[in-house]
Amino acid sequence: MQTISPVNPTRTWRFDAELLRRYDRPGPRYTSYPTAPHFAEGFGETDFRDIARRSNQDPIPRQLSLYVHIPYCQSPCFYCGCNRIITRDVARGRIYLDRLEREIATVAPLFDRDREVVQLHLGGGTPNFLAPELLGELVGSLGRHFSFSRAADRDFSIELDPRFVTPADIELLSAIGFNRTSLGVQDFDPEVQKAINREQGVDETLAIIDACRRFGMRSVNVDLIYGLPKQTLEGFGRTLDTVIDARPDRLAIYGYAHMPRLFKAQRQIEDADLPSPEGKLALLELAVQRLGDAGYEYIGMDHFALPGDELARAQREGGLHRNFMGYTTHAQTDLVGFGVSAISHVGDSFTQNHRDLPSWEIAVDEGRLPIWRGLMLGNDDVLRADLIQQLMCQGEIDVRKVERTYGISFGEYFSDSLAALRPLQDDGLVQCPPGWIRATPRGRALLRIIAMCFDRYLAAQPEGVRYSKAI
Amino acid sequence: MQEQPLKVLTGTPIADDGDDFTFCSTCAFSQACLSEGYDKSVLRDLHVLVEHVGPFREGDHIFREGDPFNAIAAVRAGTVKTYVNDASGREQVLGFFLPGEVIGLNAIHTARYPCNAVALDTVMLCRFSFPMMATLAGRMPGLQRHLFNLLSQDIGKASVLAGNFTADERLAAFIVMLSRRFAERGFSAHRMRLTMARTDIANYLRLAPETVSRVLRRLQDEGVLKVDRRDMEILKPEVLDELAHHVLRD
Repeated sequence: MQTISPVNPTRTWRFDAELLRRYDRPGPRYTSYPTAPHFAEGFGETDFRDIARRSNQDPIPRQLSLYVHIPYCQSPCFYCGCNRIITRDVARGRIYLDRLEREIATVAPLFDRDREVVQLHLGGGTPNFLAPELLGELVGSLGRHFSFSRAADRDFSIELDPRFVTPADIELLSAIGFNRTSLGVQDFDPEVQKAINREQGVDETLAIIDACRRFGMRSVNVDLIYGLPKQTLEGFGRTLDTVIDARPDRLAIYGYAHMPRLFKAQRQIEDADLPSPEGKLALLELAVQRLGDAGYEYIGMDHFALPGDELARAQREGGLHRNFMGYTTHAQTDLVGFGVSAISHVGDSFTQNHRDLPSWEIAVDEGRLPIWRGLMLGNDDVLRADLIQQLMCQGEIDVRKVERTYGISFGEYFSDSLAALRPLQDDGLVQCPPGWIRATPRGRALLRIIAMCFDRYLAAQPEGVRYSKAI
Repeated sequence: MQEQPLKVLTGTPIADDGDDFTFCSTCAFSQACLSEGYDKSVLRDLHVLVEHVGPFREGDHIFREGDPFNAIAAVRAGTVKTYVNDASGREQVLGFFLPGEVIGLNAIHTARYPCNAVALDTVMLCRFSFPMMATLAGRMPGLQRHLFNLLSQDIGKASVLAGNFTADERLAAFIVMLSRRFAERGFSAHRMRLTMARTDIANYLRLAPETVSRVLRRLQDEGVLKVDRRDMEILKPEVLDELAHHVLRD
């Protein structure tokens, strides 16, 4: 069954259930290439300092994106696979902030002051575990150690749990400088909420969305998850209607990845309560249909946006990029991450901070960079990362441009990838007219699968690396 | 150790086809020597050694200020920066040398190198040793003339520093000169790789690094050029020529 919206017949993407079923296989999300499991320990402080220094030496050094990870949550949601620490002790947030400020003071001087911060994102855990005053202190500290861009299109965003934030808090967050929010919802169905331990009222959520609008957040995103325990088409349908009615600028619809061996919290979810694979697919189809009917555009990789949203506009105009924080309108920046498990992307390197709190704390206390692992991209990595970016953002690869830029013969260099693409071509996911590799409308729903054809690391997985399924 | 980037620039590759008796086809010295009737075997008899040296890695010094002068060298691959340290120990950049250009010329008339030469990336040289400089000057007048020609070109490169020019004018002159030098070597005049760090460019032009970037960013916003990491593409050469005109006086 294909979903083609009567409202928007020219939509450039389609969700074909049969295809999705066939291609429901594990794969990375490609927020980075190579992906994090390939980062190596032993790549650390000395390397990062050298890379930061080199990045300052470009004729026009890249602008900066900053990411801060706040790992604390007051309450455990059972579906969660993120790096988080459950606690109700707000004092821990204060202690964590003290160390963050220490980390900022150590790391910021490595970057020249004329490199402006055009993007700032707080994620977690629950960033609003820290009260607005503390968040203000954090942003203030970053603002003193870095040069914040004053351009109107700077992107300062924060993930929020609507259960633990008030409209008055939103006003404070806006005053601090945030201009974009992302709210967790997942599902409003009370049965589902009980099963995932996330009881969140519709009214309180809508009040927060409303407050975001009133206090100048230029874009609000809502996260939903399909495939959760006890989820039904009726219940999820009501959630979709409620959320769509509130007209958030963006929506992210994630498929629940049940991997209880990797994520302890998920062991609280009964296998029997989970929808079947067909049921899960039906939930996705429902979401896609409702969103399409409501006029939302599909950006890629589970993300939808209203046509007037800057992401949708950027995609139409070819100015869409993708980094660890997801899709963005900002051209290539260097990303600096702070806090436990945070990832940085500077020059041709990736580094990740310690994932466990004690190791991060000790490094920061000793005045060291709290880097756990990382890697330096080689030429082949840079080339493949470029292709995967093009696929994720534009849904196509400009073969001639790649050949000119990198001095290769595409057909020779990527003979393996082209062979891997052939079954996808037969299935109508991708077309290869001369000079192009292009996802079809059906293929745009399965960009991950196409990208995997260019991933050199999939052939040789490190021990214990497990990816969630592509659907 | 970082690999050289894969992004390519077209150009004449530096040849490696010489041997004990014949110069490489792209040799910077062959023309001067051959026109004076000196082939390599004669040079050997005069104890003048022409040999390929390197690779020098980024940061390696080719010679240091005060070292006894014994050779000049043509850059075969990579970029070399020359500099001195001023009285307070601060580095002052004197110039940059691209493939095909000759370093050490300013030492010919002294007994010691008057500056430091360092590799900015992986550098290959063709070294032209001069153990008996004084004797040689008498015996190879034509060659000396050729070398002084190269030296005066060298001095010409430094014209960007003289005079009361704006940051825009200096930077435009710098880029235009680089562009011409690349073009002379068979590389693209409009697409180049800036191997030198922005602090080195700034130091050379007597500007602050932030100023260099600010000017480049403005030129980029105005569509005059496009910069991506170390790669620069000149989109409106006529605009740069106009800006550089007063500095370069041509």
